[in-house]
Amino acid sequence: MLGEMLDGYTRSLLIFAGINAIAAYSFYAPYKTGQVSLGQAGFMAVGAYASAVLTHKFGIPFAAAVVFGGILSGVIGVVVGFPALRIKGIYLLLLTLGFSEIISVIALSWDYIGGAQGFRGIPFNQYTLDYVVGIIVVLILLFARIERSSLGRAMDSIHQDETAAEVMGIDVVRIKLFAFGLGAVIAGVAGALYAHQATYIDSSTFNIMVSVEILMFVVVGGGSTYWGPVFGAAVLNAIPEVLRSLRDWLEIVPVAWTNFYPMNRIYDSLHDFLDFENAKRLIAFGLILILMMIFRPDGLLTRDSLHRLRFWHRKARHA
Amino acid sequence: MIYQQLINGLMLGASYSLVAIGYTLIFGVLNLLYFAHGEVFMIGAFVGLYLVTLGGANIYVALLGAMIACAVLGVIAVYVSVRPVSKDRPLAPLISTIGLTIVIQNLAIYIFGGQQVAFPDTIKEQLYHIGPVTISSVQIFILAVAIALMVLLWLFIERTKMGRAIRATAENHETAALLGVDVNRVVLVTFIIGSGIAGVAGVLDGIKNSGISPYMGLGAAVKGLIVMLLGGLGNVFGAMVAGLLLGMIEILSSAYIGTTERDFFSFAILILILLYKPTGLFGTRTTEER
Amino acid sequence: MREAVTSNICLTIEGLTKRFGGFYALNDLNMEVAQGHIHALIGPNGAGKTTFFNLLTGVLSADSGKIIFDGEALDDVRPSKRTLRGIARTFQNIRLFPHLTVIESVMIGEHCRAYPSVWKALSKAVFQPPFCEALEEREMRARAIELLEFLGLADKRDEKASDLPYGEQRKLEMARALATQPKLLLLDEPAAGMNPHETEELDDVITRIRDRGITIILVEHDMRLVMEISDRITVINFGIKIAEGPPDKIQNDPVVIEAYLGEDVQL
Repeated sequence: MLGEMLDGYTRSLLIFAGINAIAAYSFYAPYKTGQVSLGQAGFMAVGAYASAVLTHKFGIPFAAAVVFGGILSGVIGVVVGFPALRIKGIYLLLLTLGFSEIISVIALSWDYIGGAQGFRGIPFNQYTLDYVVGIIVVLILLFARIERSSLGRAMDSIHQDETAAEVMGIDVVRIKLFAFGLGAVIAGVAGALYAHQATYIDSSTFNIMVSVEILMFVVVGGGSTYWGPVFGAAVLNAIPEVLRSLRDWLEIVPVAWTNFYPMNRIYDSLHDFLDFENAKRLIAFGLILILMMIFRPDGLLTRDSLHRLRFWHRKARHA
Repeated sequence: MIYQQLINGLMLGASYSLVAIGYTLIFGVLNLLYFAHGEVFMIGAFVGLYLVTLGGANIYVALLGAMIACAVLGVIAVYVSVRPVSKDRPLAPLISTIGLTIVIQNLAIYIFGGQQVAFPDTIKEQLYHIGPVTISSVQIFILAVAIALMVLLWLFIERTKMGRAIRATAENHETAALLGVDVNRVVLVTFIIGSGIAGVAGVLDGIKNSGISPYMGLGAAVKGLIVMLLGGLGNVFGAMVAGLLLGMIEILSSAYIGTTERDFFSFAILILILLYKPTGLFGTRTTEER
Repeated sequence: MREAVTSNICLTIEGLTKRFGGFYALNDLNMEVAQGHIHALIGPNGAGKTTFFNLLTGVLSADSGKIIFDGEALDDVRPSKRTLRGIARTFQNIRLFPHLTVIESVMIGEHCRAYPSVWKALSKAVFQPPFCEALEEREMRARAIELLEFLGLADKRDEKASDLPYGEQRKLEMARALATQPKLLLLDEPAAGMNPHETEELDDVITRIRDRGITIILVEHDMRLVMEISDRITVINFGIKIAEGPPDKIQNDPVVIEAYLGEDVQL
């Protein structure tokens, strides 16, 4: 429905960027309570495999399969969330990482879902873009609501000082479990959407780097506001595309200008550099990460910067 | 038969230990998970490879070259992604090292290509039979270098002034500074030592596996983390022993149960340790949380 | 000194013991706190007073002994549940939420009463019609403002908690604790770092809190304040109770004076 006007490439790009954005929110949910999880790829895998089994092997409709994938993922999320309650920092990082890797190993050795050959032939869904956009809108609304409510404040307080929050009567256990489970559900949904777009998944599809990228979207976009995850995903997915189109623009430069030395060398290296296949895109990512952590560790969008935007907006209206 | 497996286990374990040592040294001193350490390991392997194939060097020069190159890489890492990053936000240093990981790994892919590259034979293969055990000269070489490194490091940490300074900084930054320790210098030294050792480990791994790829860093990184945790965060001795232990567990479980399950065991161990003995087998030696 | 408003016992401590390795932070402590009293707990540094608060709030668990609050034993009840039962505290080294505003900090205290269940909180957040503040939210805000006015912080309501001067941060901690509607309030060295004028103010505030019907246990080093407002004082040293009674009795107790010898304290 939504993507009919777009060509296949753009459509695919938007869908995967959108799935990334959804996955970003799966990191954001536990992160609001201070739980840093590097295991969201594992929950994506659960949702992906579960929904794929339902649609491919049992013919269950896409939407139901996605919902089931999310719920199963959420249940597992709560199970993992229990031990996660009492460990923090690097230990939680390692626990979630370990969980994600164990899921990978299970996917590798369980032949019913493809084993080493992977899961082929997942039914492609043509309405994925609609689902993706719809889900992103729902997530933004959901987190906007939560953030403005007392529950959101409680989550913030847990993030800032867990012990003090507990002593002030905040039900830290239930709220952390809720946040962790919510993150797992969202990741499961993202994974399910991915499976039905890529039509092939295997044990290496949802690897550590995926968890890392999800973390990056939130950290770069801004971890203290609900606009952060989608903004971060948008920016980091857009950069290679922008650079790719820059290269296309470069080809407009008339040949005469670049036929001589050094211009031809400069032109060639620029052209080469902008040829952003995977490795170079990722080098840029890495550099961006480092630079951001040095100069703007809170991410691109912070509560303050958003307030200032609103302030300017209001000022302009009253001017 | 079991002796072959034990030797294989020791070799795999030695590799894990050498990587974990760097991790745990750095974590002990900075409370930082230096994610890029796995990539340093990988770069060491490639430096060794090119020294041998392009430079015609012998294996000893290759090892030394890898060590030096990686030590330099460690210094770069400190100045680029550790020092400039504010420690106030606990996630920021971790993420900048993740960024560094991504940069190094993809630079390697870009420069060396994404394929596996064969590691040339540099040691004359000769088999020795000692009772029921058959061990090759290659295996002896690898184990000898690894153990020598570990012993040297152990002596360094326990007997030298800088080693004491490292231990003091791992204990508590403020106290160490009061005792006249230049904390920044100590951090730099731990990076240099840890990275250098990882570089050597990379070359050794190349010899053992006869092939290296730019993707080998990530696997080493994850296993290194598990070993570090198993041995106790910040505990160098623990890392050495835990690495050998994990290597043996992996080889034995893959021999007697199955190869895909071997990773499963490592991660199961990781989770059990996290839940029931997060201080590791030998206890943590790290900066007190503020 | 005042008589207890009622003769009900708010808190009973029996044989409370807490060890850290070989060191006894609290050793077989027995005491009773009467409802409506301001009960002070004093003793030289390291005597075990903050440990006592940590045990009461459930942050630490005792090695042996019983705590009976409002007729019910506390046992292994989680800290958040204890707050629901009516125990609140402030912290010796101020633990405010650094990025919350003043009024948000107080509203955190109210959360547990307004939303005892996570699902209720979530559904309220999600199903609340947009652009109109929930009834609960408005009530919470009104109560928070009332508490802030009670403590003289109302005009700073939208400032970040970490931007307040030290004395006001302490008052904010009290407001936050009061927001949980406690029956028993534990004050951990509220006068630390305050000048005499601020301590006078504190005296007044604590008394007014007691007048609202809240029992107070006060851990404090400022002896003038302690003697001035306490109804009853328990003295501990090395985890053991060495004296107990009304202020004038404690002031003249030779055992107490000896325990404080070497400390720069004027009884």
